[in-house]
Amino acid sequence: MSKPVLVVGSGPAGLSAAQSLASAGQKVVLVEKEKSLGGAPILSGYAKLVPSGEWAKDAIGGMVKRVEENPLISVRLNNVVQNFDGKPGAFVAKLKDGSEIETGATILATGFTHFDSVNKPEWGFGTYEDVVTTTQVEQMISSGKGVRCPSDGREPERVAILLCVGSRDRQIGREWCSKICCTVSANIAMEIREELPNCHVYIYYMDIRTYGLYEGKYYWESQEKHKVRYIKARIAEVTSDGKRLIVKGEDTLVKRPIMIPFDMVVHAIGMDPNVDNMTLSAVFGVDLEKYGFIDKASSYLNMSQTSRDGVFVAGAATGPETIDDSIAQGQSAAMAALSLLTGFGGRKAE
Amino acid sequence: MPIHEKSLIRPENIIEHEELIIDGVDVSGHWSTFINSRAITDYNEEMQDEIAGLAGGEFIHRCWQCGSCTNACTINALNNDFNPRYWIYLIRMGMEDELLINKDIIWQCVSCNKCTYACPRDVNPEGVMKATSHWLELKGHTPKSPSMIFDEGFSEQVFKTGKIEDGLVLRQFFAATGQKLTQTWLVSMLIGLMRKLPLTMLTRLGLATLFRPRTKNWGAASEAINEYVNEKNEENQRLLGLDNLEDRQ
Repeated sequence: MSKPVLVVGSGPAGLSAAQSLASAGQKVVLVEKEKSLGGAPILSGYAKLVPSGEWAKDAIGGMVKRVEENPLISVRLNNVVQNFDGKPGAFVAKLKDGSEIETGATILATGFTHFDSVNKPEWGFGTYEDVVTTTQVEQMISSGKGVRCPSDGREPERVAILLCVGSRDRQIGREWCSKICCTVSANIAMEIREELPNCHVYIYYMDIRTYGLYEGKYYWESQEKHKVRYIKARIAEVTSDGKRLIVKGEDTLVKRPIMIPFDMVVHAIGMDPNVDNMTLSAVFGVDLEKYGFIDKASSYLNMSQTSRDGVFVAGAATGPETIDDSIAQGQSAAMAALSLLTGFGGRKAE
Repeated sequence: MPIHEKSLIRPENIIEHEELIIDGVDVSGHWSTFINSRAITDYNEEMQDEIAGLAGGEFIHRCWQCGSCTNACTINALNNDFNPRYWIYLIRMGMEDELLINKDIIWQCVSCNKCTYACPRDVNPEGVMKATSHWLELKGHTPKSPSMIFDEGFSEQVFKTGKIEDGLVLRQFFAATGQKLTQTWLVSMLIGLMRKLPLTMLTRLGLATLFRPRTKNWGAASEAINEYVNEKNEENQRLLGLDNLEDRQ
């Protein structure tokens, strides 16, 4: 166990993997391409997290602090792995800064990239200032500035949230459900209603997938307590009448076209494969699945395993994932790496 | 543009102008028939609150449009225009015009409450139907139904005296609904009654008609009931934004 485990990426999954390894006495080198730890929840400025309701900067910030203070974890910021060779128990990773790391096993916790709404131009993002993404609304809330129309800073009186932006859409090659956007949207809708009680919030959906316990806490709660309105309609187009945004589509339940004015339109953006996945795939020699996420081997006997022996994967690198599950997968990958290095799992790296 | 398939369009959406000139072009008459757009151009956010404020409508905002109520509905089985799921949606989105198309059948709910037991979200659709019928009357969209007129006359007497006098109930009801008092069924019932000469009963009836007795110590109760009724009426008036509810009653 003298060689460190290399963990790539420091979002919830990477932080969790590093901490888990260290808590078992295993040395870790944590490589992060950005200038600070925390991944999407910190770098993108998320507000209150699902399902705890804690602020991201406190919850994920706590994980960051714990990792930074752990003497067994060596953090390499502003860095990426450029070369990766060897076999389980004896890999060598070359970093951008020229340093070399000998490692027994590696965990990829390289996360995802937010869908770029510009790829759905008919929904007005990039054309109209008041068309924003869920990430931007998270930032409005977490910055303490509140939800305001970017064009003139006014408080919106009516907000539309469009679901499945960059998800479940063959036209743009994204056939997957991003899993978290329904719940995040319900959460944001409630936060808007709390901050601006006179602002009506409408959610346009094809299906509502607030799975498991999120059903009650987010879908039902937003509808029953906060009177958020859910309308079954796939929006065709977002335009403007010069004063307000106009949301056009078909109201599925009454079989009639709608052209409704809104002050703000929010895209519930999905989770894309990390834009660096092609590079990661080449450097680490791991396969990607059909859509470009990092492919996993069988989930039953080979916990957290990629297509390359000794390289493990956790979190949203494998597909749309929640923060809680990413943390659990980080621990799972840590366990898999330890098992390989110690040999107590039945097979020891040479 | 002439329309050849008028049967496909709701009559109220077909518009002909006797005389209309747009940008110098004469578009008068049958050969320039217009069709109103079906597009919904705004939501009315007050409507749900109005129905929710009336007894029975409190939980309308819970509805997620699964259709369990309509599936379970006794009346829907007989008339598929009777669709509680659809009306709840129209109310929630404030599509008043669309709801009014069905205003003359909404009251047909028989309160069997099958929907109440089928609803997975506890919307209480039967209550919503009641609230909606009431709303339609209060807003003046539907005339007072005979049963409402009967109920009003009946309760007014009870509020006043704590009792009802059958003869007065009938006389008031027939007068208010423009029916003659000499209804065949009433006449034959009275003749049958006279033949048996039930003296005690007739004496009681006569005395009641003449003296209209009150329940003992009814004054305080009457006052309390009237106070409550007025309070409720004022509340509804505020809720529905009506200038004077009494004018409509």
